[in-house]
Amino acid sequence: MLISTEWISEFVELPNVSSKDLGVRFTLGTAEVEEVIESGAYLSQIKIAEIVSIEKHPEADKLNLVTFNFGGSENARVVCGASNVKVGLKTHYAPIGTTLPIGFTLEPKKIRGILSEGMLCSDEELGLADSSEGIVELPADSKLGMTLGEYLNEKSDILLDVDNKSLTHRPDLWGHYGIAREFSALYEKELKNPFDEKFVSKTEAFFTNEAAPITPIIEGETSCIAYWGLSVSNVTVSESPAWMQRRLTAVGLRPINSIVDISNYVMTELGMPNHIFDRDKIEESKIVIKKAGEEVFTTLDEEERNLKPMDTIISDGKKPLVIAGIMGGSSSGVTEKTTNLFLEVANWKPAEVRSTSTRLGLRTDSSQRFEKTLDSQLTYRSLLRIVELIKEICPEAKVIGKPVYCGEDLSAFSPLEIKITPSHICKVLGKELEKSRILSIFKSLDFKVEEVGEVLKVIVPSYRSTKDLECDADLIEEIGRIIGYDNITPEGPMLSVTPVRLTTAQRIHRSIRSFLSMNSESYEVMTYPLVGEKVLKKADWPSTGGLRILNSISKDHDRMRDSLIPTLLEAAAKNTKNFDNYRCFEIGRVYPDFDKEKSVLAVMFYSKESSPFLELTNTMQRLSDNLSLPADIVDKHAKFKSLVVDEDWSGLHPFEFKNIRIMGKPWGSLFSIHPLLLKKNKIKGHLSMALLDLSSFESKPMKDKTKYSPLAKFPEAIFDYTLDVSSETDVSKLLEALSKIKIKEIRHNKIVDVYEHASDRKSVTLRTTFFNPEKTLEGDFIKESEALIIKTLESAGFLLKQG
Amino acid sequence: MLEKLDKLFLEFKSSLESLSKEADILNLKSEYLGKKGAISKILAGLRDCTPEEKKELGPAANEVKNKIQDLINEKLNRIEVEAINEKLAAQKRDLSLTDSVMASNSRHGGIHPVTIIQNEIEDIFLSMGFDILDGPHIEDEFHNFEALNIPDDHPARDMQDTFWFHDPHTKTDEKKYLLRTHTSTIQVRGMMSRKPPFRFIAPGKVFRCERTDASHEMVFHQLEGMMVGKNISVSNLIYFMKSLLSEIFKKEVEVRLRPGFFPFVEPGFELDIKCLICKGNGCSVCKQVGWVELLPCGMVHPNVLRSGGIDPDEFNGFAFGLGLDRLVMMRYHIDDIRHLHSADLRFSEQFKTF
Repeated sequence: MLISTEWISEFVELPNVSSKDLGVRFTLGTAEVEEVIESGAYLSQIKIAEIVSIEKHPEADKLNLVTFNFGGSENARVVCGASNVKVGLKTHYAPIGTTLPIGFTLEPKKIRGILSEGMLCSDEELGLADSSEGIVELPADSKLGMTLGEYLNEKSDILLDVDNKSLTHRPDLWGHYGIAREFSALYEKELKNPFDEKFVSKTEAFFTNEAAPITPIIEGETSCIAYWGLSVSNVTVSESPAWMQRRLTAVGLRPINSIVDISNYVMTELGMPNHIFDRDKIEESKIVIKKAGEEVFTTLDEEERNLKPMDTIISDGKKPLVIAGIMGGSSSGVTEKTTNLFLEVANWKPAEVRSTSTRLGLRTDSSQRFEKTLDSQLTYRSLLRIVELIKEICPEAKVIGKPVYCGEDLSAFSPLEIKITPSHICKVLGKELEKSRILSIFKSLDFKVEEVGEVLKVIVPSYRSTKDLECDADLIEEIGRIIGYDNITPEGPMLSVTPVRLTTAQRIHRSIRSFLSMNSESYEVMTYPLVGEKVLKKADWPSTGGLRILNSISKDHDRMRDSLIPTLLEAAAKNTKNFDNYRCFEIGRVYPDFDKEKSVLAVMFYSKESSPFLELTNTMQRLSDNLSLPADIVDKHAKFKSLVVDEDWSGLHPFEFKNIRIMGKPWGSLFSIHPLLLKKNKIKGHLSMALLDLSSFESKPMKDKTKYSPLAKFPEAIFDYTLDVSSETDVSKLLEALSKIKIKEIRHNKIVDVYEHASDRKSVTLRTTFFNPEKTLEGDFIKESEALIIKTLESAGFLLKQG
Repeated sequence: MLEKLDKLFLEFKSSLESLSKEADILNLKSEYLGKKGAISKILAGLRDCTPEEKKELGPAANEVKNKIQDLINEKLNRIEVEAINEKLAAQKRDLSLTDSVMASNSRHGGIHPVTIIQNEIEDIFLSMGFDILDGPHIEDEFHNFEALNIPDDHPARDMQDTFWFHDPHTKTDEKKYLLRTHTSTIQVRGMMSRKPPFRFIAPGKVFRCERTDASHEMVFHQLEGMMVGKNISVSNLIYFMKSLLSEIFKKEVEVRLRPGFFPFVEPGFELDIKCLICKGNGCSVCKQVGWVELLPCGMVHPNVLRSGGIDPDEFNGFAFGLGLDRLVMMRYHIDDIRHLHSADLRFSEQFKTF
């Protein structure tokens, strides 16, 4: 919202500080000023000059070099193309650096090689005419050096562009008078009150004892809180006076005619929107406030609006005239021909105004003010102000009767009282303040204070208590912002000391991230928790359900994911274009149902050349060791199916699949993606993923089971042997057979080497390590044990390699 | 005799110099130091000397013996080293062929930049005695709005800002679920789960129903902070914010508070920091203002304390919210917020840790 400081100065004397400082003080004390605009600086830059001499431009026929004086001892010279230049002519001169009202800034520049020190102006360039020929010709007696501002009797202005959002809670600041009160408090300057009792009695004197031609009535439940109506006759609609037009233009409103301008002026001055009807267009002399039907209404911007039964309208005997608090209709507005008026100053329920204006997509100067919860107590003052201005601009206008009111009983209002002590204010702010300072701030903000011992009974003005101020904390803010938070010295509190640490889950998440990034060379990534049909379809994802968002902005993000797989698959497709192999992981939430959110770890390895499944398995094994997590990697089991992926999902590789069993349950899975799904997603190569449901174990602290055992005093014995088995035999089968041998001296059985020696045969070298912590192993015992090993393997169908 | 010794030593030195084979040197050694060697002979001859001569000659002969021994050892050593070096030279590898110059060099890893900054801030607050809390993304009206003093008809509840799972306008007693729009929900959960005095932070994802562009995301990260106790003041709040920001930016940061309206705090503030780019002189980053809006904060509203089961007459406190993504973007000069959730490894690999 634009605020004119020229307008503000009518109510409070602004200190002599830079325009920037003015903006900063308001920002720090009240609300954010987004920009400080100096408007009309040209008014003091452009001066009246008299042409002294004229010579032809040596390089251009149509240009002249015009030398002139503008009141000082030195002359200036410009290059000028106007045909009406002559010696002795007086005109307006704009020096370099001037920004003309048409928005053009004069830069120092050479015209055909000769520097022009600014320009002599035409009416058009000064914004005084839509088009004009040649430069302005002023009367011969015009005073040299007089500024354009003096000549036009206009002043420059400093405009503050205040962020509307920062005024959301301050309905009192939606007019210049309210802003002036803030400046008066911020700078400790007196606020003038032109709306005192004298003003009231002077304006009420225009009222007559005639019967009011129109009496507004409220029909049923509506959004109306208060409604004043007043009839005025014998009006001549004209142009509004220049000062009014200038102020309206300054704050971004377009002058239209005297009556519409008065309406806008009062809104911008006092913050209270209002509406003025052409009374002759009100059929049956009726004003009825009621709920709309399902009907189409044409607003004054000539747009057709579909009304609904929840919208409040103001109608005459036949048709709707205004959408309450938002915008009038095209049929009942004031035009140049209007002579009789009906003035409306009303207050409407904020939530209802907002809901109608939001639905219609129609936010107006009026609706955005009503949305803030305006003060009904101020409606009458605004009505009087309209009357005062009408009588000032159009003295022949006649008020018919007295204002007629319907709505809540305004006299039943009792002001809000808040009790607070100065010591409490100081304690919460952390700043010592004199009681007198506190009292003077309250006074400057129009709060009345009664002192009862130490307690201050603060009576809040009605316009601050519609929703802004409620409790003592609000009063503390008033004091804090006026003294300036910059004046509070930062200080640490005295605190009791207690140990703090990350929760188990947080520690596990950190361990996973550092393990996977540092030890497993993976990157942490994030994908959207919101997914859509497209990404699920691409993953051939079995569940299309998921929790649906009612008001999604895009079909691609209209539900919550129930797995990390689809978005990671999408990421894989994207990254495959740029990398031959990569490893990444995400710790993210999945949302199978309300109140069932879970943290899941997904790890993804990609390789163009060969399946990274084994590498991924090793990584997950090491990760669980790192987390001291009791986890086994096991084969599919008909009864115990994966809890993190549907084992029937078509995207799974037929063989490269294992479950990760944690505390007895398959809370994790390891798998490669089926080549067909990879092909569908244009992924060339091999992609493996691991999923781990972190919620299944992250809240339980893991014990570090590392335990020292004394170093061996006796040597181990090693037995290496090579088996000849079919290529399809997994080494796990060999180890499984060996595990059946019950010799306590066998420390472990490991694979030394695997060598494919024929197309369907491979030789596997195994090593069994014997160890006895109490004594050196005897030769006979070792021989017997070796024989048992070979025999056991033979009976399981695995024979020693011959030769 | 002494001259003889000196002569002998000089002879030895010149013969040693001309030798380069190990065997020849060992021969030379026995020639001089062997049982029948020249030095041994001299030492044996001592027997026939006078005690004075013995006293003079004995040590001198021993010294020469030791010198010869040292020179021989040194020479042998040198020859061995030369031999090994020669062998090493033959096996020399290309030491510039490191991983970093290989096309196949793709083995790196790294943590997401949001996590990096989040961990950093968590550690700062841990060091100041704050707990770290977490909570659900899918919340209900109570935690996201009601308990935070955001009444039914507040614009923040409108459909434009919040992703809803249930129509907020339907009247029903059933819980209405939504995606949390701020981490302030954890204020409520935190208050309910502990007794004052306490202090905690809560980082996490939040969601806004907003069209995405380079600086807007529908999913982003916030970090909420809250401290409740007896006699907490605005002055304390400024202290913690200054400490936090100086730690984050690794230098003294100038801050200013100005009034800001948020239903859950009163007084409420916008905290600005003096622009770190132009030091307050005005530049494009701070839009010529010299200050950059960084975080909303304030004293916890009495109604919010009440919702959390805390008596506002006995306790008070402050709360703040920090946009993590903004900090991440400032720290790393990231120009498009959408990279954060893109899972594009060309982005990730810029944050590799090794």
